[in-house]
Amino acid sequence: MNEIAEKYAAQNIGSIFLYTHEAHPGENYPHLTSMAQKFRHARDLRDVLGVTRPILVDALDGACHRAYGSMPNMTWILARSGLIVYKSDWTDARSVENAIQYFSQIPGRRRAGERLAPFHVERLDFRNQERKQFYECLERNGPKAVDEFRKAFPGG
Amino acid sequence: MDDLLTRYNYDSFAPEKFEPWMNFASSPQTGTLAPDFPLWRLDQTPTNLNETWSQHDFTIVEFGSFT
Repeated sequence: MNEIAEKYAAQNIGSIFLYTHEAHPGENYPHLTSMAQKFRHARDLRDVLGVTRPILVDALDGACHRAYGSMPNMTWILARSGLIVYKSDWTDARSVENAIQYFSQIPGRRRAGERLAPFHVERLDFRNQERKQFYECLERNGPKAVDEFRKAFPGG
Repeated sequence: MDDLLTRYNYDSFAPEKFEPWMNFASSPQTGTLAPDFPLWRLDQTPTNLNETWSQHDFTIVEFGSFT
């Protein structure tokens, strides 16, 4: 996702990471109890995980996250007007880039005189589960996070 | 902490704690206006989502945590 942000920035595509809450609280990154702790975790997204996009922090009660469906790792694309043009319940860089390649043409098409009207599409995309990387993240949170995930999803 | 803060910031990844928050099906629809909320930058200065999306033709918003 960082690469997509850099690749399309020159085409006037913005990109942010919105820090929500700890989906898998562990010994190293426990559940949140204060905004000070929330800012510490959010800074580690940049400093430990290498998120290079601007990171914004939600309220402690997750007001923004909850209003958008509160899935643990979803991606939305918003137009300059605030119009919601894409929403996915999980983040997949291929899906996001595919959408951005389409949307980034729209301003140019309008400038060229095309009369564009919105319509709805439903599509089922397929993501790489990246289990090794996911478990590495769980381990970084701490053994508790790994154990609880295995209990919740024994075949996961 | 009040009940909402405790439930949202659940202390363990157990189905009875995380499943109530999986509400994508009832989230705002494409083609509607995105709800705006106050947010904070890493330096703790306030902003809001509108301020972000209004700066670009399109803005990618990834929601997430450490995992």
